[in-house]
Amino acid sequence: MREEIQRIQQAMEGEGYVTDRSVATAVHLSMTLGKPLLVEGHPGVGKTEIAKVLATVQQGDLIRLQCYEGLDATTALYEWNYPKQLLHIRLQQDGDRSIAAREADIFSERFLLKRPLLAAITHEGRPPVLLIDEVDRADEEFEAFLLEVLSDFQVTIPEVGTVRAAARPSVVLTSNRARDLSDALRRRCLYLWIDYPSLEKELRIVRTRIPGIDERLAREVTAFIHSLRRMKLAKVPGVAESLDWAQALVALHATHLDEELVRETLGCFLKDEEDLRTVSARLDAGELAALSSSVA
Amino acid sequence: MTAPSADLVEHTARFCRRLRAHGLPLGPGDTLDATRALGSVDLVDREDVRLALRATLLKRVEDSPVFDALFDSFWGGPVPVPRNPPVVPPDAEEERESPASASQRKRTLESWQELEELAVPAPSSREALGRQDFESFGDDELRAVTALARRIARRLSARPGRRWKLSRRGEQVSLRRTLREALKTGGELSTLTYRRRKLRRTRLVILADVSGSMDLYARLLLQFLYALQNAFSRVETFVFATRLSRVTDELRTPGYREALGHLSERVQDWSGGTRIGESLSSFVASWPRLVDRRTVVVVLSDGWETGDPEVLGEALAVLHRRAGRLVWLNPLLGSPGYEPLTRGMQAALPHIDVFAPANDLASLEQLARHLSL
Repeated sequence: MREEIQRIQQAMEGEGYVTDRSVATAVHLSMTLGKPLLVEGHPGVGKTEIAKVLATVQQGDLIRLQCYEGLDATTALYEWNYPKQLLHIRLQQDGDRSIAAREADIFSERFLLKRPLLAAITHEGRPPVLLIDEVDRADEEFEAFLLEVLSDFQVTIPEVGTVRAAARPSVVLTSNRARDLSDALRRRCLYLWIDYPSLEKELRIVRTRIPGIDERLAREVTAFIHSLRRMKLAKVPGVAESLDWAQALVALHATHLDEELVRETLGCFLKDEEDLRTVSARLDAGELAALSSSVA
Repeated sequence: MTAPSADLVEHTARFCRRLRAHGLPLGPGDTLDATRALGSVDLVDREDVRLALRATLLKRVEDSPVFDALFDSFWGGPVPVPRNPPVVPPDAEEERESPASASQRKRTLESWQELEELAVPAPSSREALGRQDFESFGDDELRAVTALARRIARRLSARPGRRWKLSRRGEQVSLRRTLREALKTGGELSTLTYRRRKLRRTRLVILADVSGSMDLYARLLLQFLYALQNAFSRVETFVFATRLSRVTDELRTPGYREALGHLSERVQDWSGGTRIGESLSSFVASWPRLVDRRTVVVVLSDGWETGDPEVLGEALAVLHRRAGRLVWLNPLLGSPGYEPLTRGMQAALPHIDVFAPANDLASLEQLARHLSL
């Protein structure tokens, strides 16, 4: 393994992010090739976390753009601060400066509200990490706009001119696959698919993130969640759910799983009524031991 | 980063070509990226090479098995297990007949046209009409079908979306624009600018099976397609038996009988065998721009597939990913005791959002509910 990749993996582990070679390699390549990294995977497998950890490792700032349907260029890029401009005009009204000078004044950077994309481009100091979260939630129009920005990291603001990134930010895009992203966007990015972790890896994650957890409890929790992932559920619990649940159990001073405890805390990892019923039925059938043993 | 050797570049390019031949969407830029990526990993480490190529050349996880198999065979490693050859079903022989000859095709269509002219007393109420199966359908129901198509078109017509656009009269004052305007007048708010929600338009793509096994229903379904095509402008209609034909323009002809005439010229495989999978794959390949998130795709078929069900599954998976909704209408679903056990239907079910009957007017009436996104 290349030394740099190893270093990235160690640095990420050092930040409490349990990872593997494929993640470290993708991050390394994204940095050396200067291409955005598109991370896909089921909800709750730690996609967003990659960007956060990357920012810490690079000692840069994290700039986050949360996508949603209807997100448009003004919310993502920039907006003039109109109220402030108006106020400024009023205050200057009696001055004898020329109109051109006044205009240049109010369309200067002071009156520019930088939204995440512009903030990432104009960022000074160490290049930041730009996280474009859940890009699958934005619509196709926004995706096209994003392509433009990501291809040359420059933006033209009519009143100011073209703003170019001094240092290209590292870009991480995440997608839950609510819809298929365009081939054009995919082509622009390196690709990383994060699957649910193996039992051992998840156990490591739980131990790392919840240091005080009882060893037996950690093993039973991960095994139980793994059994659930093999069942047909509407909302399959991710790693985030394992962690939530383990955290809750630790708060309840549990050292192992018992039926009552599981029933009381089902809501930590099951977010669908139908799923609750399915799993309760399995508990009724006395399957707790089978579900929470790792040799299933 | 070390400069890659000419050999490596050549080898990588060959690998990319191989991937492309297996359907991975790669361009020349990707080859370049792959080579650069190889320059920044440890080339003696096979896993490093695999992960580097994977990050640059794999664009979606679905292609992962193909990538892994090709990587192993190309860069040395375990011999890939060949995919199971498609098993020919016992009943395939009789169904895989050659497409109906032209004269036969014409006869089928002519018989529909004749039926068109027979005067059958109109059922008194819509319910009575609705309950009849298409197979026993009377003939002046074209009017009823047209009315239904209009109702569906109304459901499909534009609804307000989430984006805003400026308009002279609107539901809200656009503060941004108004203040922008006010700058011209020295900060005096003289004119208000409004904005309103941009309309969201749904599009409909219909893929109708006109193979032999659908003959019983085809006549009324055709009427339905015809009526829908003429009631609503954002419909694209395709028919298929063994291959796919786009019939949007043919159906848009004024006059149902003229439309049928055009259809018989256009479509070569009426009442032929069924290759749903191949037909849908060719739709996916030839009309990629037609389906996006605002598109409802309706497949109208009984699911009697004589081709490879795996091909059908793959094509539907792609459609399901791209479309806003994927609806499968199966005329057989209306008959009591029907279960979708055919291999075609089994392959299709995991990928469809709505599985509904289409054997009578009442069931088509239900369809309207599934069509607005």
